[in-house]
Amino acid sequence: MAQLFRPGANTIARIIMIAIVVLPFAGFGLAYAMRKAPYSTDQGYTLDQPVPFSHKHHVGDLGIDCRYCHTGVEDSRWAGLPPTSTCMTCHSRIWTNAKLLAPVRESFAHNTPIHWSKVHKLADYVYFDHSIHVAKGVPCSACHGPVHQMALMNQNAPLTMGWCLDCHRNPGPRLAPKAAEFNTAWTPADAPLGAARAYLANRHIQVSHLTDCSVCHR
Amino acid sequence: MSRFTLIEATGRPTAAAPAPAPRRALDRREALALMTAGVSLAMAGCGRPHEEIIPYVDQPEGLTPGISQRYATTLPLAGYGRGAMVVANDGRPTKIEGSPKHPFSLGSTDVFAEAEVLSLYDPARLQTAMEGSLPSSWNGLDAALLPRLAQHKRQGGQGLTLLTGRITSPTELRLIKALQAAYPAMSWRRFEPVDDDSVRAGAMRAFGRPLTVRPRLQDAQVVLALDADPLGPGPEQIANARAYAARRKPGEAGFSRWYVAEGGWTLTGANADHRLALRPDAIADVALALAAALDHGGAHPPLTPEAQRFVAAAAADLKADAGRAVVLVGRSQPPEVHALVHVLNAGLKAPVDAHAPVDPHPDGHMASLQATVADLRAGHVQTLIVFGGDPAYAAPAALQVAAAIAKAPFSVHFSEHVNDTSVACQWGAPLSHALESWGDLRAPDGTASLVQPLVRPLYDTRTRAQVLDALAAAAVRPSARDLVCQTWATQDGATGAPRVTNAQSSPAAGASRGPGAGATTATVGLTTPQSGRGASGLDEGDAGIDLNATAFDRFWTQALTDGIVANTAAAITAAPAARASVFQPRPASSSFLLALAPDPTLYDGARAENAWLQECPKPLTAEVWGATLAISPADARAHDLTDGDNVRLSRGGQSVVAPVRVAAGQARGVLSGFIGGGRRQGGPIGSEVGWDFAAVRDVANPWLSAVTLERAPAHGEAPHFQALHRLDGDARELSPEITLAALPGLARSPLEKAPEPPSMLPKAESWAPSWAMVIDAELCIGCNACIVACQSENNVPVVGPHEVARGRDMHWLRIDAYDVGQADEHRPAFQPVPCMQCEHAPCEPVCPVEASIHDHEGLNDQVYNRCIGTRFCQSNCPYKVRRFNYYGYSHDQAYGNMGEESVKAQHNPDVTVRARGVMEKCTYCVQRISQARRTAEKADREIGPHEVVTACQSSCPTQAISFGDLETAASGIADLRKEPRHYALLGDLGTRPRTTYLARVRNMNPALGTAAGEITS
Repeated sequence: MAQLFRPGANTIARIIMIAIVVLPFAGFGLAYAMRKAPYSTDQGYTLDQPVPFSHKHHVGDLGIDCRYCHTGVEDSRWAGLPPTSTCMTCHSRIWTNAKLLAPVRESFAHNTPIHWSKVHKLADYVYFDHSIHVAKGVPCSACHGPVHQMALMNQNAPLTMGWCLDCHRNPGPRLAPKAAEFNTAWTPADAPLGAARAYLANRHIQVSHLTDCSVCHR
Repeated sequence: MSRFTLIEATGRPTAAAPAPAPRRALDRREALALMTAGVSLAMAGCGRPHEEIIPYVDQPEGLTPGISQRYATTLPLAGYGRGAMVVANDGRPTKIEGSPKHPFSLGSTDVFAEAEVLSLYDPARLQTAMEGSLPSSWNGLDAALLPRLAQHKRQGGQGLTLLTGRITSPTELRLIKALQAAYPAMSWRRFEPVDDDSVRAGAMRAFGRPLTVRPRLQDAQVVLALDADPLGPGPEQIANARAYAARRKPGEAGFSRWYVAEGGWTLTGANADHRLALRPDAIADVALALAAALDHGGAHPPLTPEAQRFVAAAAADLKADAGRAVVLVGRSQPPEVHALVHVLNAGLKAPVDAHAPVDPHPDGHMASLQATVADLRAGHVQTLIVFGGDPAYAAPAALQVAAAIAKAPFSVHFSEHVNDTSVACQWGAPLSHALESWGDLRAPDGTASLVQPLVRPLYDTRTRAQVLDALAAAAVRPSARDLVCQTWATQDGATGAPRVTNAQSSPAAGASRGPGAGATTATVGLTTPQSGRGASGLDEGDAGIDLNATAFDRFWTQALTDGIVANTAAAITAAPAARASVFQPRPASSSFLLALAPDPTLYDGARAENAWLQECPKPLTAEVWGATLAISPADARAHDLTDGDNVRLSRGGQSVVAPVRVAAGQARGVLSGFIGGGRRQGGPIGSEVGWDFAAVRDVANPWLSAVTLERAPAHGEAPHFQALHRLDGDARELSPEITLAALPGLARSPLEKAPEPPSMLPKAESWAPSWAMVIDAELCIGCNACIVACQSENNVPVVGPHEVARGRDMHWLRIDAYDVGQADEHRPAFQPVPCMQCEHAPCEPVCPVEASIHDHEGLNDQVYNRCIGTRFCQSNCPYKVRRFNYYGYSHDQAYGNMGEESVKAQHNPDVTVRARGVMEKCTYCVQRISQARRTAEKADREIGPHEVVTACQSSCPTQAISFGDLETAASGIADLRKEPRHYALLGDLGTRPRTTYLARVRNMNPALGTAAGEITS
């Protein structure tokens, strides 16, 4: 009686048996990796904006302070986007005929707001507050990255809960001295060694409390 | 894909193929195709939605997106004002709080004030002028109305009738005076559904002139209420409750004693120390017996032994505390009883204030309405202008108001909603809500306060002042704001004397150059922030800062900021000697009495379209979405009735069918019910909810109507909450009561179960702050303000009557009512139950996903985005305070029109709107704690001892709820927990609740016996 299976069948059977064990893990691993990948988190993606506003030019080249436009950042949950009138403080005098700025002029003339695309999206059930982070010494760059180098704004951090918790569990190394908070070029490497503990103590940050659910969710 | 469309085509009948082909089973390929399509659609839908940020073009000064603002304003109830502090988030009013300086708010609220913010966003509001049932416009109405008015002007106002509710607003009264000048023969009639006719007539009889007499309950040691309900719903509820609470604190001097004689249960009766159930028409006999006992009269009809004992004890107490004792009478009693009680109070030197009536209309409400109806029937009325209210619904049906209105050649109704009166009138036109209006109102003591808008009108509406002004048909129409400015620029509201002497501030200057400058044509929102954080660009700066400010500017800013106009309370006059007027009692009647009262959650029914109020449980019965008639057990036995059986009440050929509820403690021969139910035109929420008794109401005294009662077929019931929480066990153990006499001997609370049971759970870490709440059950009068406040603050949805009937109510806070009486004595006891925030929380170990979890401040957090809806926590909670979203109650499946866009604008942006399948519960307003913590940390300081105020706590008229940090002595919470009266609900379970209670205290008169089974030391 001729053999039912060719010699190669053994190999195939082995591969199938291994696959039965490995594939579910691989699938799970892939899903896990995908969850944190920029594809899911939108990290690094750039969105179309009605006006191609360049932070690189305004912050990096001209050196305008973050708070000139984002006025709410020290008081409110929202840093706030500038009203058209803020743009027009300068652009009623310079680049008054620039084609790129037509939507801004139209907004101001017709009293219709500009619809900006939201770049940093947090889930609705997270109650993030800019003002408390600024008050406690979290520099803008800790979340928003090197804004002064971004021609168009993109999301620098993954903004996942795990990423939030990394800092909430150990905020010290990411805090900046008061003077450097709004310096977007500041990185933790600029801090002197051992400064982290001093920052925590100076700012009365109770780390154990920071991972309570009610701190961010209600 | 072609197969896909095939299925679609067979599934949906079209015009070409009217009869659908019988659906065949899917074959394998089709199933796969569908599955693939589904998966690909699901994946395509996975991406996060594109979101936009839309900043202002020109941001208003003083407004920072994300920071809420608070403005003082005034809310109307029955024509009187109650101060309110309204929280606005990014221009949306979202929460009503009390206004501390207003004498009838005192920083607290009632259910009606709390719910006003939902009424603002009610999608069923009248949004445009209507001609009959067809939409029209203000221009259309003006075109029809103004020529008629011009003709009336030529005729001196002949044939013009203005029918209003109670008006106390100085601006509205000024405009009505102007109308009376323009139309001298115009009739101004006034009808308020909750009237005070007998009160006014009684004062007239006693003093010979109209006089308002109000008790100072905070000075009253002994109070006898004869069918009166000072703690019940109404414009004075908050002030009365606060004054009541001032004398119900053991340890402080003068714990008051309350006697109440009444037919059916009221909040006052439920909180009294001694209560006598009595037919309301026998109250006159009690008053006469009391007069005899207080040496004011001679003979009186014989009383029952029980009543005799009650009167004797009360009279002795009143006499002993003369100078600090007062007798109160309710609106259902005839004027002669009121007059007699004025005499008794004068004899007792009772703490009462007398002043000229704040409502200046000289006529009685019912008489005024009867005159209107007579005029209409006689054809004397050419043009009828109904200004607010709903007399066609609220008046006794015998008057046939709607039919009379139909006789007018032209009728128009100005209203916020379409109601029976709008339907009867030819035109309807929309009024602005109070939160959209400029205006002013007076409190029952005459204190005036301004109404300022929190938001621009949502629809094309006019304010009340604008409407009255337009009726004068003058060429110039000032803005809504200027109308109010003009009132206050020309006169001091109290004296009528010119207020502003500054030459710059003549009325015209005040209007044009003053606060309205630059915004005179539009009704502007957001003006003077309470916090003084800088004006929003529409006002010209804070008082005292702007050097160019006129005297009027300073006055105006101050009045808006304070929430009251200073020194406007009516002058207290010495009441003239009350004339002794002992009267002949009316013959005793044996027929059934229908005793009606304002609904505790709907008041006169005008608020029936507010779903929060419909779903707010009636005190004691916990009925929602309607209220049944209370009948005494003896009468129920005699007529073979049980809960929910329908009865037919008949009177003069008219009848009403409504279900009864057997109520222990109800007087025999009395059926107690509420007005405000059974609205025919109540919108998607309020129509046909509950029962309307107008058909059998007596025009002579609509609060007491003699009816005949017979069984009716079928069954009806209002859904109610309480049965769902009926716990086995001894009510006195769950809701203990101590007599005042036993209290001093009480060293340590005997109510605390001494040794704590052993627990395998780790001892909770103690952190500062450690939040805790103590509720004084003695001070809780059961008014429900906290329930609606919690609903408003925490985005608690409405579920509707059907879901309530299935036990799916969503209120985070409930007020349990117990009957702690012994034998045939019935004593209700209120106990508010929010989440206990147990230190050893039974809900936590059973959650498979740690959605129920403790934080470091002792809060039992509920993490909505983690919750997967197993409901294990709900099963394991001994207090039953967890609520589950069986449906998307806050979203598309909401009841009635509650899912509509405009309603969403009310939501508090600091609290998650919970989705279907999620468990939720009270978290001590964690958003407010978080807000306070962030504010404190930004300023690098500790949270202040009274910085966090929960929504329920801020609303409570009696301040029964204390909240704070156990670790901070200044918060006083730790001290309250050491009080002898302190107890924990179900404390023997070892849950170590953070919410605890102080036991109720009863100040018994020894002459009326001692409480059986009382707790002694």
